[in-house]
Amino acid sequence: MRWQYCWKTALVLVVQLAVVGAASEQFDEDLTIRPLRDGKLSARFSFSSLLKDARPRDPQQLSNDDEAQHYALFPLALGQILREYAVTELHLSLNAGKWNYDAWGYPDEPGIGTGAELWVWMGESMPASVDLRWQGLRNALAGLFCASLGHLDEQRTTAPALTFQPEGSLPNFTYPHQLRHATLPSEHVCTENLTPFLKLLPCKSLSGIASLLNPHRLFDADWHGLGVHVRYQEAVGVEVRLTFQGVFDPVRYSNERRRDWSLHSVFDRSIERACPVARSSKIRVELPPGSSPYSITPDPSAINDGVATYVVDASEEALDVAMRWPMEDTFEYPNTSEAPPLTEVSVRRNLKGTNQAEAQLTLVVTNNLPVQVTAGYLETMPWLLQFHLHTFHAHVNGVARDDLVSILSYTPPVPHSRPALLQAVLTLPPSSTLHLTMDVVKPFLRYTEHQPDAQRGWDLPPAVLVPFAFGKGQNSTVAASHGRRPRRIYTPIMLVDLATPDFSMPYNVIIMSCTLIALIFGSVFNLLTRKFVVVRVSSAPAAPAEAAAEQRQR
Amino acid sequence: MPLALQTLRAIPARLRQRLRGGGDPNAARIRRRQALANKAWQGLPLIKLVLFAVGYLWLLAIPSAQFGQRTYIDENALQPGQVHTYWSWNDVHRADRVLEDLERLRDHNATSDEYVIANYVVGEFEKIGIPARTQHYAFDTVDGVTEGTNAYAVLQSPRASGTEAIVISASWLSRAGDGDGTLNLRGVATVISLAQYLKKYSLWAKDLVFVISDGYLDGMQAWITTYHGAAQPNLHAEPLTLSSGVIWTAVNVDYPGHSFSHLGIFFEGLNGRLPNQDLLNSVSLITRHTGGLPVLVHDHIDPRDTPNQPEILPSWLPDVIKSNPDVQEYAVRARNIVRHMNYQARGAASGVHGLLHQFRIDAITVFAVPATGPHGFHSLGKILESSLRTMNNLLERLHASFFFFLLVGPGTFMKIGSYLPSVILVGTAMLFSGLGEWVNAGWTLAAPPIGSDEKKEPSQASGATWVQRPRPVLLAVSIMAATHLLGVVLFYVVSSRLVNATVVFMLFSALPALALQLVPLPAPPSAPLATVLKAFNLCFASAVVSITSVLNFSLAAALAVFMGLPLTLASSSPSLPKRIAKYALYSVLALGWLVLCPEETRKAIWNWEVLGVWLAPFICIVYAPLVLQAALVCTLHAQSS
Repeated sequence: MRWQYCWKTALVLVVQLAVVGAASEQFDEDLTIRPLRDGKLSARFSFSSLLKDARPRDPQQLSNDDEAQHYALFPLALGQILREYAVTELHLSLNAGKWNYDAWGYPDEPGIGTGAELWVWMGESMPASVDLRWQGLRNALAGLFCASLGHLDEQRTTAPALTFQPEGSLPNFTYPHQLRHATLPSEHVCTENLTPFLKLLPCKSLSGIASLLNPHRLFDADWHGLGVHVRYQEAVGVEVRLTFQGVFDPVRYSNERRRDWSLHSVFDRSIERACPVARSSKIRVELPPGSSPYSITPDPSAINDGVATYVVDASEEALDVAMRWPMEDTFEYPNTSEAPPLTEVSVRRNLKGTNQAEAQLTLVVTNNLPVQVTAGYLETMPWLLQFHLHTFHAHVNGVARDDLVSILSYTPPVPHSRPALLQAVLTLPPSSTLHLTMDVVKPFLRYTEHQPDAQRGWDLPPAVLVPFAFGKGQNSTVAASHGRRPRRIYTPIMLVDLATPDFSMPYNVIIMSCTLIALIFGSVFNLLTRKFVVVRVSSAPAAPAEAAAEQRQR
Repeated sequence: MPLALQTLRAIPARLRQRLRGGGDPNAARIRRRQALANKAWQGLPLIKLVLFAVGYLWLLAIPSAQFGQRTYIDENALQPGQVHTYWSWNDVHRADRVLEDLERLRDHNATSDEYVIANYVVGEFEKIGIPARTQHYAFDTVDGVTEGTNAYAVLQSPRASGTEAIVISASWLSRAGDGDGTLNLRGVATVISLAQYLKKYSLWAKDLVFVISDGYLDGMQAWITTYHGAAQPNLHAEPLTLSSGVIWTAVNVDYPGHSFSHLGIFFEGLNGRLPNQDLLNSVSLITRHTGGLPVLVHDHIDPRDTPNQPEILPSWLPDVIKSNPDVQEYAVRARNIVRHMNYQARGAASGVHGLLHQFRIDAITVFAVPATGPHGFHSLGKILESSLRTMNNLLERLHASFFFFLLVGPGTFMKIGSYLPSVILVGTAMLFSGLGEWVNAGWTLAAPPIGSDEKKEPSQASGATWVQRPRPVLLAVSIMAATHLLGVVLFYVVSSRLVNATVVFMLFSALPALALQLVPLPAPPSAPLATVLKAFNLCFASAVVSITSVLNFSLAAALAVFMGLPLTLASSSPSLPKRIAKYALYSVLALGWLVLCPEETRKAIWNWEVLGVWLAPFICIVYAPLVLQAALVCTLHAQSS
């Protein structure tokens, strides 16, 4: 009797909680698929959980007890970290591969720098400073996502606030907000990062769109990256968006070298059932432009603006979206030298030079538009590469055009502790190529600072280019005025060789140098303590008998 | 008991006395030092002789079967031959199709228009879906302009960050005949077919860069120099519009014949640089185990393994010697070493791979030794696939194995410690000779002085005493500097090729002797100039030989042969004709190459201008002046000594 009562009460409580949860939390999932012109397929998964009417924690309140955290859909593990370190906005991305802007266009998620990138906006506070909480945060995230984010220490941390503007709104705390940004280009992304990522989803990878996240296929993709984006929106709440982005190559998967794809052929899975707690669950397929005829199955729920939308519904059968080009026998690659690049600006960055002490950093920026483009240029460089700023020059067609670089700001690096931060505004003349060159110095590392794989070299973080104004003077259109924020373009990362000792024979080196020091010390000591006298030496030694007599006398 | 203890205690003292002698220990030490120096001075001719003899004999003994050890893989990450290869007959068929196209282009004489080939290659790469571009280049040389067009493609590997790259290259001209016009059509076809095949896999951790370079060495030099942004004043090359990361390893494919029987490995780079031995060992292991065909050092087929091969040993040798296995082994090894030394001493690259070493890229050429069979694209593709997988395994640059070695056979090598001493010994002998001359110059035997001076040392033989005399150091050094300056002039004259070689030879061999007539010779109380000059000359030459030996062993060995004994034996003679004859002989040794091997000289100049090989300036500025100094020593009339 009594047990029955308890059971009933519990049931009522659960239902109530679920209702309350449903009212204050929302979960939406979304998959965007874009066939690309080089036969590849871009897929972006986005899972967003919204905590309605929530506010980020005020860092001034860190010493007080926090409010209780009861979430039904919102990821608790992440929520706890956000409250613990009073984070207002957070962006974490873990990527592998090199994004090809020219052939793939802008990515759906802008943060595509190779390796790990973490940037957060946090309110300043007195007892627990931003830097202290930044350290705690990156260690907590390292634990949560099984990534080496703990290495994003002060040697890699900068605050390039112009390039990394908050995507949500910043609440009005006692003190202003500050940015912390760090990249770790050598971080490898793999399935150990995906597993904790999936655990944060309400349906895990069991149902809904997330069931397509098959690690075997995801980590075989030409490019793949996962992201965690937390932002606060005034009057809406705190939103956590977990994203996975990949560029797949159906031509590689097909034996006939065709670009036909289906969810099953790409992910080796189809959507068997919908995620029951998702408010909306959609698959959007961007329909390819151009003349070659294609078919898409099954019939989409809606088509508008060249985008076919499928609603993943609980009632439906297994959903397997497929696209075919029946007229094509094999996929014909477009000629890369003739196809126009898909972004306004193409950028290449290289480290030229052959010796271990000096090199030249070159940045080649091509403006693909017939109008002038103004772009921000950001370089966050660990002290492993030190700039000679006076050699920073711009050329267009071999003509020096230093006037095209303006508003240059530079925070020099502090060896062994702080990275350099270089920001500039570049003016790109219409349809032309700007060459930026700068001499750099490769410093000498302490022997304890070398990595375990010392002969590999050091990965350097990507530079970021933000084209923000198009056109000249009065006619210029600023990207932001279109209601669209300026988009970041990341350059590929680089590898730099620093002078590296031969670590395979440390003992030989130690023994050799010890011997040399001992020899030098010995001779110097000898010279310093010796008394020089003139000795008369007769040609023959003293007779043995004499010597013996002398000996006896002693 | 106490007596026994006392005796025991006395033992060290007695020993000390036995060793050091009695009396003042300081005086004893000085006496001992004098005795030692005396011994060394008296034994100097013997010491010199022994050092020279051991050094030269050691050089001769390097190919003997008793030296050398088996090669092994040092870098654990490489794991050569541990993968299945999937290169199939489909891929071979595709290579055949490409080859047909290339042959058609050749038959239509498309080589005259350099862009046709490069554009065809770029088209093939673009069809596969690999971005490709051309690069036009031109080198200004004394002989005129060398120009061409490279084609290259960058396969951006899936999932890779593009910070590291492997280069797979084939030059349009084969290394067979050192780029005399033999086309490397099958090598080019292999690379193009391989590119399409490799694109199917997502396992590449590094970008793959395919380079089809025009010409033999010039194309790759233009490409690699531009890739690294290294300035070369006489090179006009288009900038590269596709880029990748740091290149760690590279393999160059050379397949000039119709089929092949053996795979030869060429590894010598510019200025005597060698790639890491792990790369060679991995490829030769893969060739033997995955490819199933024998490996050669260079293209030297061992006559003991293969019938119908020309004998290495001269035919006039008696059969008893020719059939001796040790002698045969010696001959086989000697052939490999001589070929290797020939490349290394001249600083020449034995293939296109050699141009990459200057940028710290470990590279080799795999050379399909032309034969009537049985291997073709199928074996070569498998070997290349497996080798690239091995290079792909690298987590760091190749650093574990040897950079200094002598590859005496496909599976046998010598460590630097086992061959370096030969040259060092010759260098030491030269140094001892030089120091001996220096002492000779400083002291002279004088008639017994009147009265006795305690300080004067009585000489060993007669009553004559050794007296010190001034040495004309400044004059000797000035003459040496002048000859080296003359060497600089010679280098400019030779490299600009304004004057006929014979005239240059006559002029530059006569000039030092004539100029010497204007030099006021030191008066008798000071040492004769010849002795001091010879002392400096020998010491400097010894330093050159010793230092070169750790940079470029083969060059040092050549210097040891050409300078070791000749410089030591240089001496004046009382009769004028003899002096003139000696001078002429040394002049020929110094500058004879001008007349005797004009083709070699032309090549060396081209190598300097285009590839930056140091041989030509080294010979002109270091070697020739050193030998000319010895020639001057012969002309100087020895004064009273």
